[in-house]
Amino acid sequence: MGLASASTATTGPEAMQLCIFDLRRGQNEGQELDKILFFYPADLPFSAQFSVIGLSEGLITFTRIFSPEAACEAIEADRHSHVFYEAEPDIWMVMVVEKSMEYEAKWRTDALRKVLKEVHSLFVMFHGSVRAMLDKDPGGVLARSHLYSFVMDYLGDFLVGKKLLMPSFRDSLKERGTVQMLTVGREAAIEVQSLVRVLESSAGNLPCHSLILFQDLLVSTTLSPDDTVNLFAYAVLRLTPHVLSSGASSWSYLRKGATANVSSSSILSDSGTVPEQYHGSHNNSSAGDNSSRVIRPLKLDKWSKGNDGFLATDIWGAEPSTGVSATPTVFLHQSEERMYLCAHQHKSLTLLFLIPVSSVLNGEQGLSTVKQQVLENVSLKLLKVEEKLSKGWGGENAYHVSGYRYLLVDGDRNVSRASPTGKVTTLSKESLLALSKLREEVDREKSRAQWDSPGHEKELEVSIRAKNNAWVIARVTRGKELYMVLEKANETLLYASDAVEKFSNRYCGGAFSLN
Amino acid sequence: MSGKASSSQLSSGLSGSGALSHVYIPYLPLRCNVPGSRGLFYDDGNKLLLSPASDQVFCWKTVPFDPMVAPTSDSLTEGPIVSIRYSLDLKFIAVQRSDQEIQFWDRGSGETFSQRCKSESESILGFFWTDCPLCDIVFVKTSGLDLFAYNSESKSLQLVETRKLNVNWYVYTHESRLVLLASGMQCKTFTGFQLSSAGIIRLPKFEMAMAKSEANNKPVLAAEDIFIVTVYGRIYCLQVDRIAMLLHSYRFYRDVVVQQGSLPIYSSKVAVSVVDNVLLVHQVDAKVVILYDIYADSRAPISAPLPLLFRGFPRSNSSSLRSNREDTESSEVNISDHEAIIYGDDWTFLVPDLIFSVSNQLLWKIHLDLEAISASSSEVPSVLEFLQRRKLEASKAKQLCLSIARTVILERRPVSTVARAIDVLVSSYSHSIKTGNYLKGTKAGKTLPSGMPHTTGPKLSADSSASRVDAIGKSIKYESSAGVDSESPNRFLTFSNSDSEEDASFFDSKIDRGKLTGAETSVSEARSSLVNNPLDANLSEQQESQLTSPAISPDEMYSFVFAPVEEEMVGEPSYLVAIIVEFLRSANLEKVEVRPNLYVLTIQLLARSERYAELGLFVLNKILEPSKEVAMQLLESGRQNSRTRKLGLDMLRQLSLHEDYVLLLVQEGYYLEALRYARKYKVNTVRASLFLEAAFISNDSQHLAAVLRFFTDFIPGFRDTSDHNTYYRILSEMNSYIAA
Repeated sequence: MGLASASTATTGPEAMQLCIFDLRRGQNEGQELDKILFFYPADLPFSAQFSVIGLSEGLITFTRIFSPEAACEAIEADRHSHVFYEAEPDIWMVMVVEKSMEYEAKWRTDALRKVLKEVHSLFVMFHGSVRAMLDKDPGGVLARSHLYSFVMDYLGDFLVGKKLLMPSFRDSLKERGTVQMLTVGREAAIEVQSLVRVLESSAGNLPCHSLILFQDLLVSTTLSPDDTVNLFAYAVLRLTPHVLSSGASSWSYLRKGATANVSSSSILSDSGTVPEQYHGSHNNSSAGDNSSRVIRPLKLDKWSKGNDGFLATDIWGAEPSTGVSATPTVFLHQSEERMYLCAHQHKSLTLLFLIPVSSVLNGEQGLSTVKQQVLENVSLKLLKVEEKLSKGWGGENAYHVSGYRYLLVDGDRNVSRASPTGKVTTLSKESLLALSKLREEVDREKSRAQWDSPGHEKELEVSIRAKNNAWVIARVTRGKELYMVLEKANETLLYASDAVEKFSNRYCGGAFSLN
Repeated sequence: MSGKASSSQLSSGLSGSGALSHVYIPYLPLRCNVPGSRGLFYDDGNKLLLSPASDQVFCWKTVPFDPMVAPTSDSLTEGPIVSIRYSLDLKFIAVQRSDQEIQFWDRGSGETFSQRCKSESESILGFFWTDCPLCDIVFVKTSGLDLFAYNSESKSLQLVETRKLNVNWYVYTHESRLVLLASGMQCKTFTGFQLSSAGIIRLPKFEMAMAKSEANNKPVLAAEDIFIVTVYGRIYCLQVDRIAMLLHSYRFYRDVVVQQGSLPIYSSKVAVSVVDNVLLVHQVDAKVVILYDIYADSRAPISAPLPLLFRGFPRSNSSSLRSNREDTESSEVNISDHEAIIYGDDWTFLVPDLIFSVSNQLLWKIHLDLEAISASSSEVPSVLEFLQRRKLEASKAKQLCLSIARTVILERRPVSTVARAIDVLVSSYSHSIKTGNYLKGTKAGKTLPSGMPHTTGPKLSADSSASRVDAIGKSIKYESSAGVDSESPNRFLTFSNSDSEEDASFFDSKIDRGKLTGAETSVSEARSSLVNNPLDANLSEQQESQLTSPAISPDEMYSFVFAPVEEEMVGEPSYLVAIIVEFLRSANLEKVEVRPNLYVLTIQLLARSERYAELGLFVLNKILEPSKEVAMQLLESGRQNSRTRKLGLDMLRQLSLHEDYVLLLVQEGYYLEALRYARKYKVNTVRASLFLEAAFISNDSQHLAAVLRFFTDFIPGFRDTSDHNTYYRILSEMNSYIAA
């Protein structure tokens, strides 16, 4: 079948493997296959799949003896790195990447884990937890078919040419799982908040939430940080004007040219049906029926902007009676409530608002009334805000600070800001490798500190002189992290530390200005 | 000026009357019957009601309006009296004896002299005193105007200037300083002169519009059909067109007269009053009054026509001071039924807001019932606009505005509606700040309408500009003028300025004497060179408020709207947050400063509903401007949310509140960071024991040693303190324990 051959094409020597398995399943001998919920590449022989999962399971069981709360995080084998992520209790995701002969620090474990985390969070947002699905359909067909299409659609975004490019050292000045914010002046911020409040109040007494993006940057949210990250990620992947205008690629530094490689990504995503192994093989129920109704929120090019400015998609099917496309729904992490996701776009401004499914009567019809009502109330303000933000918008390179290549992460708010991608590419390989290595170190320190003294955040300061004489600097202070590469810096450490001080005072409110 | 005081005082006892009207006349009239009276005259230049008797003239002050005022009298020789007016400095009395002669009395010396027409062919239509620098008195004659100046040496009048033109009749009001001279067959051709302290301005000749009747007989305009009206410092002329049943309005500019549109009339007899810049058109036959607020372009009436009512009886008056007086005198002041006929045939309307009953010799002052007016409309923003323009009962208007603002929020009206209401209040405040009208520090909300002893005396002459140095040392300038009700004899109206909206915000300045004691008072003359008398203590009437503008400051918005509403509101505070955001937007737009207390409230509201993410956005985007109060509230609200707490800490650091920052860092357990920071910013007020204690609690002997070393190195003499000894011992114990 098409997928099999396509997958073969991508599984070159540098292939990546990704599996999801459930430790509670297939406990008896001969039923091991039942554990597997997802495996990429799907056409890998079961024996090979088993060997990956068997090893992982063994290690998890072993390490749990010493650390029941947090078992294995990663294995560094001779030629492969295994990255573990316990997405839900006993549901594990493992990514296996091949080590590079050329570079010592090609991968950063934490960056890869963030990929696993992201795909799982998005999955849960749209479909609910994997465990709940397994409970609903103990045979596992439901979970497998959903995971398969979802993860494959997700991985499609990492395809470059015929290769899946996972985040490597070149992406050291990026942080997945964070939100990028637009910096706005007070006046614009008040206008935005005014818009948000009117939006909130215009849905009547419905407890609704909203998220506002300008280009690929977040302007406002009323959601919890976790939900914000998920919806933001989805919006940047599929909804922002950049994505919608075909051919253009998002310049957001986290996203590669998602739509630029339509042909190659279709290799993965055209696989509308699930391979044989996922249905019927160890389950005789009417699996085929289920799989054909799988909703694929990450399917490419399925969103379009309607005349009324609302974004529409047929991913969620259509209401049988009216033929109107069904509105997407998402689960909120915080309230565990199912919400309608309505997206409205005016020029560069994307407005997402979420209305509880339970509070809308008459389904789609009731919802469209609410949507129109909201639009009526906010349209004027929407225009005003868009205009104001456009005026203050500095363009793609707005957050470039000349002389610096930086990444600033606010872990408390899941917010990051970094040098624009175009500027990062000017850095030499040596600098980036050194940074990747440094970050790996910092990640380790952080997680250690977390176990040593929970609740007390570590302060950390590392400055490294790389082989190419660049300064590579990391500073961590009370939940905020700053990574920086200074290639044209002076010889002395004093100079480098001065540069950091200046940056901190100017752009971080003095958060990193100690000593 | 007293109108403000007395009316708001009275209305406290009157508002319960329940009668449906927007305009009322307080029950108590000024009685001016004296034996042998030969008619009554109103001297609008001095706001005096004059009643000549056989050999003297009785004189009542109508400003401030006090029904109990006793008349003064001047002796006068016998003779016919066509009209009578005091000079503006009150030194002379002029009496028109006939259409040929005007006689003058020098009140000081008692001397008299007369001025007669030069030729028999012309006759005197009337006269008025003026504060024009060129002359002192103007005779209006059938042949034009004669301008005379008084020569104190020769003790006679000297002709300064003559303006020749045919005059059929004329209209003059002192508040506008404008004389309109009618000529022509229909008397509809007008020439106008404004004789103000700025000089003489001649208006271009203009014609009034008059509809023709079917019979082709041309109607003739009478003096009763013309009203000169001053509202918001602008001068209008209203003309009754009986055939079209319209009231045409004209606005006077320095060089042009512009017809402004027409108002319908429902009565063949129409009278006009102006109370606090609100135009009252009395439809005398229909016995109703229609109110117009000619501020914007709108010619729509404020509300439906309603009757004018008498209000208030002594027993219902709860004002202790006044009711005492009234009780003792009530036997004299009862009015009988026949006296209380609304729109009686004998009523005369005096400029701007007095009504005189000729047959009963009673004088009333007209009042607006702001409460009733504001209750009659549901259009909240326009009601607030109307109230914000009221100067006469500023305190009352302010209270009404505050209560309306509270109500709309408590009723959870749509955010957009409330936002518009807030816009009105904020822009009005901003405007009053710009024009300097807002009296800082007035505690309006706490001023009760009655029973409050006040040491305030209103000043009789307005047109002053007094600047006061308040406690903060910031000088606030109050520019005052008589405003448009023009009770001052020295009213100064710049005609050219009547165009500008600034004039609309002139106000009567009353200065709280209590506030002035100990503060430097300087009275400067800004635009006019007039003597003023800011504190007139001989006035017995108690003033209940010195408020001169109903503008509401952000602080008052907080204290009297947001804070009380927050207490009363139940359920989700998100609505109130939305309203506060709208207020901040409005304030930001008008560049009005918002005090931290509102920000603190916002934080409390957001934290209460656990909307920490939004709270973070509010702080990071500086919607809530950084201040120590805000930082402290973030720390307080952040007890449940460490992110919010950090925001508070970061804010302290960014505000360079080093001591607080260090102290809080130590409290949070970040004593090493705190030490580093303290060293950098030379904070040495935080006690060493706090750091040592924190290090001890962390149970890390290395850290404790480091902290100990730090203080030993940087604080001279630390080695000898008990802290050092205590913790040095603890440290040794810790180390020995580890070693063991």
